[in-house]
Amino acid sequence: MADVDPDDYEGVWVFIEQHDGEAAKVSWELLAEGRVLADKKDDRLIALVMGEDVSHIAEEAIERGADEVLVAEDPIFEPYLPEPYGEQFRHLVEARKPDIVLIGGSHTGRDFAGRVAVPTKAGLTADCTELDIEPDTGLLLAKRPTFGGDAMATIKCTTHRPQMATVRGGVFDAAEREPGREGEIQSVEVVVDESHVHSRVIERVVGEVTDITDADVVVAGGYGMDGDFGPVEDLADALDGEVAASREAVEEGWAEAARQVGQTGKTVRPTLYVAVGISGAIQHLEGMNDSEIVVAINSDENAPIFENADYGIVGDLFEVCPALADAIRAAKGEEVTQ
Amino acid sequence: MTREWNIVVCVKQVPDADDVSIDPETGTLNRSDAAAVLNRPDFNAIEAALELKEAVGGTITAVTMGPPFARAVLETAVGLGADDGALLTDRAFGGSDTWPTSLALARISEELDADVVICGEESTDSSTGQVPPGIAAHNGWSQLTYVEELEPDPDNDELIGVRDIEGGHEKVAAGLPVVVAIEFGANEPRVAGLHRKIFSETEFEPTEYTAADLGIEDQVGLANSPTSVGGMDTADPVERKKQVLDSIDELVEALQEEGVV
Repeated sequence: MADVDPDDYEGVWVFIEQHDGEAAKVSWELLAEGRVLADKKDDRLIALVMGEDVSHIAEEAIERGADEVLVAEDPIFEPYLPEPYGEQFRHLVEARKPDIVLIGGSHTGRDFAGRVAVPTKAGLTADCTELDIEPDTGLLLAKRPTFGGDAMATIKCTTHRPQMATVRGGVFDAAEREPGREGEIQSVEVVVDESHVHSRVIERVVGEVTDITDADVVVAGGYGMDGDFGPVEDLADALDGEVAASREAVEEGWAEAARQVGQTGKTVRPTLYVAVGISGAIQHLEGMNDSEIVVAINSDENAPIFENADYGIVGDLFEVCPALADAIRAAKGEEVTQ
Repeated sequence: MTREWNIVVCVKQVPDADDVSIDPETGTLNRSDAAAVLNRPDFNAIEAALELKEAVGGTITAVTMGPPFARAVLETAVGLGADDGALLTDRAFGGSDTWPTSLALARISEELDADVVICGEESTDSSTGQVPPGIAAHNGWSQLTYVEELEPDPDNDELIGVRDIEGGHEKVAAGLPVVVAIEFGANEPRVAGLHRKIFSETEFEPTEYTAADLGIEDQVGLANSPTSVGGMDTADPVERKKQVLDSIDELVEALQEEGVV
């Protein structure tokens, strides 16, 4: 595939992920960041909505900052499948040549991004924790922590378009809706039919999605929990907070993936973040750095988490957590149960 | 029509996380001086391939792209029960990002006439998860990512996967050929049998492929990678008070002063 002329490409696109007529929160977060990027490069912000009966989502995208919404409406786009979504997206990219495309880092978003980056020969960067525009060139600067170090790498895509990035939930703040905000909603030609689809969804079971990104207090457990999240749950209860976990704890199966904090999990911005038995790798810090007050509880006094905390207690978390939970309940005037 | 399946399992040699450096000139990972191990999520991919073979019959070929010493991860896969191994090794592959990497794996999967290609969820060194859908896209095959369980339906040439999605799961039937990314931790990888392990270390020889063998010598490597590392910074540390306190009472007092308790 020949290199493209980057000058032919313009517009910042945000893929609005939706299921059953409900947009994913991460998509609104990216739309807000897309607005910032589009303004920096004096470009248009365009939301892409695919599905059946999604006009209310298109209207919401305008209210949340899009200049324009492209709507591909057809039953073939319900529920999500990578082939029809990918084929439609390839067509839209070839016809309309977007400069930048942002996609939420959910499982659906990552399934979609990996699929569509290939036929468009896009430069795709996964799980970015910062996005910016290079002043002289207008290039997207996609930043993510490096493996095995404490550095951030900036990934660029200089000769191919579009420049694509996935970002996990909570990294950016969603914009408020602005009722009456004006923009253009454009229905696009659907180019996909059954011949593009070689898979089918037999069953889809979705319950309530755990969301730790809005919590005011977060108590997170790491590898030091050694399989027992009881102390973290109890402390979270005393603080009226949400339970969260490090990647290691999720990989060990001690906590559900939706509660993972970090580069490959969620970014939280609570008033109080308590890190229990978490060493403090950069990938984790990226998900908790926006917290107002950070408390660390760890038995290793040299753990990097103490350098990234306001208050630390060095000690056995299985003793510190229950004692702290009791002290907090006492301070709040609650009855101490244990 | 029921028939046996050609199963390809993609594996990757990754540097041990504690033992890695970054090339200051290119900003890419310096893999040559780190202890090299099999990417942990790939053990789940190998296990899924073995279970699939037990269910429908067929052969498993482990595939990796890397320097000559990456054959070690093929030996691991063969020791665990893969029937054969293919090593994609060529200086031309050097510096490939996920686009050319998934192209090379797509071409070898075609070459091996794969019905099912199984990958780990992502690699621990670059953790993009982009290669499995990339392979599927290059070949125009179906894809199943974040798979917790697999259920083959050889009578209908379909593979059914239970996928983990936000807030729940979905069951998807995919027509063959299909590329699968197994969720990390989805199964309990078996331990290699002694005879097979000895065979893999003494007698097994992988088939080697160059970029030209796959007809992609002009489409791989750093020059054909859409993305490049444009710089490295140290992370901006957030200013914190860094006060290590001696007692829980002091901590509660501090939190009360901050107004968070």
